[in-house]
Amino acid sequence: MGDRRRSRRLAAALTAAGLTFGTAACGSGSDSAGSGDPNTLEVWTRSNPDSAATYDRVFAAFTKKTGIKIDYQPVINFDQQLQSRASTKDLPDVMINDTALMGSYQSQGLLKPIDPDSIAGHAQITAKSWASTVGIDGRHYGIPYSRQAQTLMIRKDWLHKLGLPAPRTWADMLKVATAFATEDPDGNGKADTYGMVAPGSAQNGYVAWWGSSFLWQGGAQIIEKDGDGYRPAMDSAAALRTVTWMKDNLFCGRKNVLQPGAITAVTSTATNFQDGNAGMYLTGPYNITTFDATPGKDKYEVVPAPAGPAGSDVLADGENVYFGARTGKTEQEQALAAFLVSAEGQKIAMTSVDGHQPVVRIPTNATLDAAKVRDDARWSVVQKAYEDTSRQFPNAPDFAPIKQDTADSLNAIFTYCGSDVSSSLKELNDTLAGDLKDQDLLK
Amino acid sequence: MTATVTAPGARRIRVFGKKAVLPWVFLAPGLLLALVFKFVPMAKGIWLSFFDVRPFLGDKWVGLDNYTRVLTDHRFQDAIGHTLLLGIGMSLGGIVVGFALALLLEGQARSLKIVRTAVFLPVVTATAVVGEMWRLLYYPTSDGLINQGLGFLGLGPTPFLDNPDTALWATMVMSVWMLAPYNMVIILAGLAGVDRTLYEAAAMDGVSLWQRLRHVTLPAIRPALGIVLTLAAIRGLRVFTEVYVLTGGGPAGSTEVWMTRAYTLGFTRNDIGGASAASVVLLCVTLLLTVTVNHFRKRGDAR
Repeated sequence: MGDRRRSRRLAAALTAAGLTFGTAACGSGSDSAGSGDPNTLEVWTRSNPDSAATYDRVFAAFTKKTGIKIDYQPVINFDQQLQSRASTKDLPDVMINDTALMGSYQSQGLLKPIDPDSIAGHAQITAKSWASTVGIDGRHYGIPYSRQAQTLMIRKDWLHKLGLPAPRTWADMLKVATAFATEDPDGNGKADTYGMVAPGSAQNGYVAWWGSSFLWQGGAQIIEKDGDGYRPAMDSAAALRTVTWMKDNLFCGRKNVLQPGAITAVTSTATNFQDGNAGMYLTGPYNITTFDATPGKDKYEVVPAPAGPAGSDVLADGENVYFGARTGKTEQEQALAAFLVSAEGQKIAMTSVDGHQPVVRIPTNATLDAAKVRDDARWSVVQKAYEDTSRQFPNAPDFAPIKQDTADSLNAIFTYCGSDVSSSLKELNDTLAGDLKDQDLLK
Repeated sequence: MTATVTAPGARRIRVFGKKAVLPWVFLAPGLLLALVFKFVPMAKGIWLSFFDVRPFLGDKWVGLDNYTRVLTDHRFQDAIGHTLLLGIGMSLGGIVVGFALALLLEGQARSLKIVRTAVFLPVVTATAVVGEMWRLLYYPTSDGLINQGLGFLGLGPTPFLDNPDTALWATMVMSVWMLAPYNMVIILAGLAGVDRTLYEAAAMDGVSLWQRLRHVTLPAIRPALGIVLTLAAIRGLRVFTEVYVLTGGGPAGSTEVWMTRAYTLGFTRNDIGGASAASVVLLCVTLLLTVTVNHFRKRGDAR
């Protein structure tokens, strides 16, 4: 019996060894994808197949012009994939992804510092855009590629029917929202229209993303620069006033001023503007393509965000070009970046062929005019908002935890209408201080 | 230990004897899959929970720091209550409803088979799809199907998912809806094995329906209930998808459960070490719970 057991054990061990060997052999076969060829760049973008089709055209033009080949990978779950590549210490050569991720990537050592002078045509990018890619150590870690600022999408047929002008201030906006909610702007005799759309869920930090424009318009900031560090600023009087205003008038205000279910809505479920039952949506211009289909190009217009007590600053974000750390193809990477931000490269990325989504919204190349390239005057509203009254999330720190904590807190305040805003914001401020301390940025 | 190795006259088998190797050859494909997709990631997860994970710069050993951080985080502590309530609620609800469905739908008639198939559909539907569907059902105006129904009864529309007092219960109802049919199938299998003569004898004795359930049916399907309970212990606390697709943990964190917290920590805050520690804690609790349930089950069987 003992022998038998021993022989079984041995067989089991051999099987396990064989399996391990087998898996190791499988694993080693797959890491040869194109990284060996010095004249091929591996490029990743966070894209679905629709926008990937536009990138395909951009890279084809680049290869035709320079002879440098591109191994292009559109990746939807970009960050998960990037983390697994990072653990193999072999990053893609070039990545195009959100501006807000720069601080996070840099803190993980994923990016190569960039000298703007080394990029041909760098002077065609404005100083404001370049300033948005400075990391915590004062060096640049990205090349500005595409930008966008939030604007107010509003149903002009509803405004016309109710005889109202487009809102210019928060008070106007509230009046219009109330009218949209109560005066039956679609004329179907039912109270089934809503004033405004808000993605108010804390999931992925949506409510902080959407609400940041309001915070700035009210004179509040989430964190503030302080010497060479940052300090949390959500306990300010302006923050208290602004958050209270949003709670009292939007989330806990009159019924139907916001769409039903706003407090749990994320952008993919907040489709009321598209569905034609909500009249306003403060959002990014990438929605223009969607909204032109429904509710229809002739039904809505794009106007600057209504101003709050401290101005009309809106959230700006966009994409940067990043170079993966330790990839060793600097010259080719710089050539690609120069092409991507050139007038030629940006124009290709801004135009839609066969109805595919363009990938550059507002060009960072200052010689281009978004409205002219697209032959669509609405884009000048977006470009003006970006150039004159926009603000980005601070790019140097890893902003993800700060955004998430702010969103958790705002969502809770807006959920409990009877809550004490002041003490909630104080608590948030302490949490933010902890986040900054984790990054050694608290001063 | 097992009592299977009692071959008479256990003769010496060569090390590579056919009999010793063959079972493992047959097991190999399954083991390979389990190894690659279950055991290796699991071991890696436990390993990572002791590190500050920085894939590119190299991981940094932090000992039990991740565990103390997770266990002292007040949002994880809040999540414990929600996880227990949701886990226990949906498990018990799933068992009770599953049992009721099984009693109602037991039998050989063709119509019953069709109804059983229909009732089983939620189990084979992707949770993401179910979540989207229930979001529509729960829609907070009279356009939502449930609120429309309430409207007929003269009750005003209720914001099921947007009210922090009802969101967790609404999630629980959906979970029960998804879980009950699975339990139903297991209990149905148990019911099929009940000796019919016992029912007949009970009918002769003129017992009530409740007495029949209590003294005939329930004891007979004991093993099936044991399986259902064990499964509930394993699955109850790791609830994630239902919450993630329906509420995302909101509003105001009122439906945040242990795994959604771990997910946020890992994937929006990039703290893989902390997320691993949270998952390991859950693994230990689940293991303990499963062992306990099994212990009581075995003790009950022995009686």
